[in-house]
Amino acid sequence: MNNSTVWLIPAIILMLVAMGWLALSLPGHWKQVRSGKPASRRLRLAGWSAIVLSALCCLKADHATMAVLVWLMLMAAAAASVGMILSMRPRMLKWLSLGIFAEEFRR
Amino acid sequence: MKFANTRQAMAWLHTWLGLIFGFVLMICFFFGALSVFDREIDRWAIPDTRFDPQPMPSFDNVLIDVFNRTEPDIAEYNRLMPVYHDSAAGDITPRTELPADEYWAYTTHRDPVLLMGIGFRVPKPLNTKEHNHIHGRATIDPRSGEELPSNSLKIGSDWFYPLHYSLNLNWNFIGFYIVGIAAFFMLVALVSGVWIHRKIFREFFTFRREKKTQRATLDLHNMSGVVALPFHFFFALTGLIIFAAFYYLPVTNTMLKPLHDMHETMEANATGLPHQRLGITAQIASVDDMVTEAKRRWAARDMAGEVGFLMVHHVGDANSYVSIYRAGSDRVSLVGEGIHFKSSNGEVLREDPPHSTAKSIAEFLTGLHLQHFEHWFLRWLYVLGGLLGCVCIATGFIFFTEKRKQQHAKNNSQGSRIVDAFAITTVTGIIIAAVSMLVANRILPADLANKGDWEKWIFCIALSFSFLHATLRSSPVVRGEKNPAWREQCFIITALAITAVTANWLTTGDHLIKTIFTTPYWAVAGVDLSLLAVAATSWKAAARLQSESIEKEQSSSEAAYE
Repeated sequence: MNNSTVWLIPAIILMLVAMGWLALSLPGHWKQVRSGKPASRRLRLAGWSAIVLSALCCLKADHATMAVLVWLMLMAAAAASVGMILSMRPRMLKWLSLGIFAEEFRR
Repeated sequence: MKFANTRQAMAWLHTWLGLIFGFVLMICFFFGALSVFDREIDRWAIPDTRFDPQPMPSFDNVLIDVFNRTEPDIAEYNRLMPVYHDSAAGDITPRTELPADEYWAYTTHRDPVLLMGIGFRVPKPLNTKEHNHIHGRATIDPRSGEELPSNSLKIGSDWFYPLHYSLNLNWNFIGFYIVGIAAFFMLVALVSGVWIHRKIFREFFTFRREKKTQRATLDLHNMSGVVALPFHFFFALTGLIIFAAFYYLPVTNTMLKPLHDMHETMEANATGLPHQRLGITAQIASVDDMVTEAKRRWAARDMAGEVGFLMVHHVGDANSYVSIYRAGSDRVSLVGEGIHFKSSNGEVLREDPPHSTAKSIAEFLTGLHLQHFEHWFLRWLYVLGGLLGCVCIATGFIFFTEKRKQQHAKNNSQGSRIVDAFAITTVTGIIIAAVSMLVANRILPADLANKGDWEKWIFCIALSFSFLHATLRSSPVVRGEKNPAWREQCFIITALAITAVTANWLTTGDHLIKTIFTTPYWAVAGVDLSLLAVAATSWKAAARLQSESIEKEQSSSEAAYE
């Protein structure tokens, strides 16, 4: 593993977190994790920001042409993983449903 | 056919195209996913080659000797010589006396062995304008120059890999065309699939496994299709692009043939690289010096690298030249920064200039499919993409039968029974075939004549067995129940996969503790670990199907008591 390859680790983590937040922005999935309703817009903003940050990490790790492929494939892998977690152990995602992402928090 | 709306028409298209071409696409996706690690499967299957990847060896000391002793392929000679040879010009040249016209050698960052080839020319050709080449091939250990035993088959790169684009049906390229048509309709199925999907974003992460089979299967079908949509789309598309010019739309070699020939001549004039032999014999200078010079020039352009492909054109002629290409392991695009040398004196004839934008895009697209790059993480992501494709197609089959089998049971129709049997063959059957081949590879004696052919036969027999078994056991489908062959074939996969890992250990001494910890060799460890993962997954699936069928029996026998 050379120095730049290390950047793939934050890229993976950020993408998983991003997909987790995007999933929780959907009321149905939020309910699988905790009660109440999600602050959907806030979650989506957070999710997309994490996706962008993940892209930056990919660019740090590899040449741009390669980074695009890693990023796209990582999106698929992370989305499928989050889907399977929600199907089998949804409460594993509880730590992503921070208070600021709950709707009550806004009021 | 009358449809109430576009959506219904799209659903019809998706259902039937998906069903018909799904069986082919399943093979493309599964064996495509295995091809990502074709070289590693080769190492597993040919234990003599379990050593580290090697750079291109010296041409002057190693390669030239191999080229000199390699003969034209017997089968190809028998097939093509009568076609190429002009019998009016004299006697047919014996196979071993054909003169060489071109040499090539090819390696990648994953290859311990070196692939070499020769194009022999026909001295008295019928059509003087064509190349008329008859080929010879060799795979050598680059450390010693020794050839690999000819009875060993590279299961990864010479069976699984071509299987995914040609189904290994080479008669008139029929397999290429079937795959091409399937890939095209894959694109159609993707577009129509997105069209008929009601809640792409709302159900992006949705897999309700607790719901009944039909609903749960559709969820999984949607999820595996949508999350990897860019992968599915680009791999079907780039697969088509790679073969388009050769097989699917070969206009440059048919309708535009005169233009093509003119272009070749003009290109030869423009690049200064001779198009034809001159007819004057000439010696070849040191190719190793040319390699050194090529490496120096790449380093000067800030792209230092190893040689991936080396080719000598017009061997032994005054017009002969050597082309040296860089191994493109650090980028996606499949480019070689070729540098061309005059064979007789080693003078540089030409350095390939950077490509135009259009050419670069084409190279990126083909490169992303052919993956010559060195990026193990991305390779695994590709495997995952391929397997998601398999999940998508397989759940499509299951959804098709789940939706219809009750109806078919009422009407006494055999439709879902047949579809289900085909589905079993293309889901569990291809895994049984692939793993049986690996087991056979380890169990058949190493010195068996034509061992590779035996392995191919076992692959085909195992696949036919799976189909027969699925058909013979299919009667419950007529009653609207599950075919027990699903469960039984899952058990067979588990047994075969464990046998393969054990047989590898017993016949080569390479067990996982050795290949992971004591003397790491990841190619073999990776194949073994994947086999164990397959064993565990299929065991779990089989156990689940088993408990389901037992529950069903109990509830039906209770119902009988009441």
